[in-house]
Amino acid sequence: MKYLAIVSMFSMSLMAASPEVVQYMNELSKTAKTENSSFNGFDAARGKEIFTSTHTGKQGKPMACTSCHTTNLANSGKNSLTGKVIDPLSPRANPQRLTSTKEVTKWLKRNFMDVYAREGTAQEKGDVLAYIMKN
Amino acid sequence: MTKVLNLSIAALLLAGGVYLYADDDEREEHEHKRSAVVAKPMTPQEKSSVALYTKECGACHMAYQPQFLPKRSWDKTMKTLDNHFGTDASLDPQDHKTIQDYLVSHASKNDQMVDMRGAVALRISETPYFVREHREVTKKMVTQPEVKSFANCNACHTQATNGSYREREIRIPNYGRWED
Repeated sequence: MKYLAIVSMFSMSLMAASPEVVQYMNELSKTAKTENSSFNGFDAARGKEIFTSTHTGKQGKPMACTSCHTTNLANSGKNSLTGKVIDPLSPRANPQRLTSTKEVTKWLKRNFMDVYAREGTAQEKGDVLAYIMKN
Repeated sequence: MTKVLNLSIAALLLAGGVYLYADDDEREEHEHKRSAVVAKPMTPQEKSSVALYTKECGACHMAYQPQFLPKRSWDKTMKTLDNHFGTDASLDPQDHKTIQDYLVSHASKNDQMVDMRGAVALRISETPYFVREHREVTKKMVTQPEVKSFANCNACHTQATNGSYREREIRIPNYGRWED
């Protein structure tokens, strides 16, 4: 039953992510379940907290995902170090987003390292993706 | 004349080349035109390497022409991508290899490390050539928000992303053209 709930959540999200990224999220979901027995599906609200909260980043300075991506995912962001414009993260504003698992895994790894100075857990990654999908 | 020059730029770009010169005197123009004529067009493989380099490295900053640094510098850069100027810029192994091969095979043959007392430059702006060429640029010109740092070549060199750094193409935000 729980599994059904997860599946239906993903099918609702199909519009916001390509089949391969949905598949990737299903894998993350399985891993999250093995790492945390009380895991009950990804949560955009938890993802928002991960995305908007400030942490000591890789450089030992306060950093948040929003430092570069801003708090409105439909807007362009700006690399806080180089000033280079970053296209919107929201799949509705930018249909290229969440279409390639290779891109998604690359940036999740890099950006968790930059902001949290560690890699994200499967649950954290899925929560962030759920948040991005909703925006 | 302009048309001829544009064509030569196109030819040089096809070869993944870069116009690296400080002064726009006529003699140099002729030299560069000649080198453009002999430049070989890129193979499909080179084209896809350049596209990958531009996409991956250009996601965060200008995809600097590999000719700006010698092989040693690119080797060191590619070995330390997980901490690339304080950022995780790691790549998957296959892309890493493609980009490394492209950078190294197009690196500067003119290794200026002797001038740097043995240090291996990671930043192009640390190289003696760069320092010399920018010696008259004031700090204010570089640190203003429209430029931010020397890393943003294209903030002033309007054709930098195309590999052209002619003096006449320089427009410094809030200052204008560069006059010697």
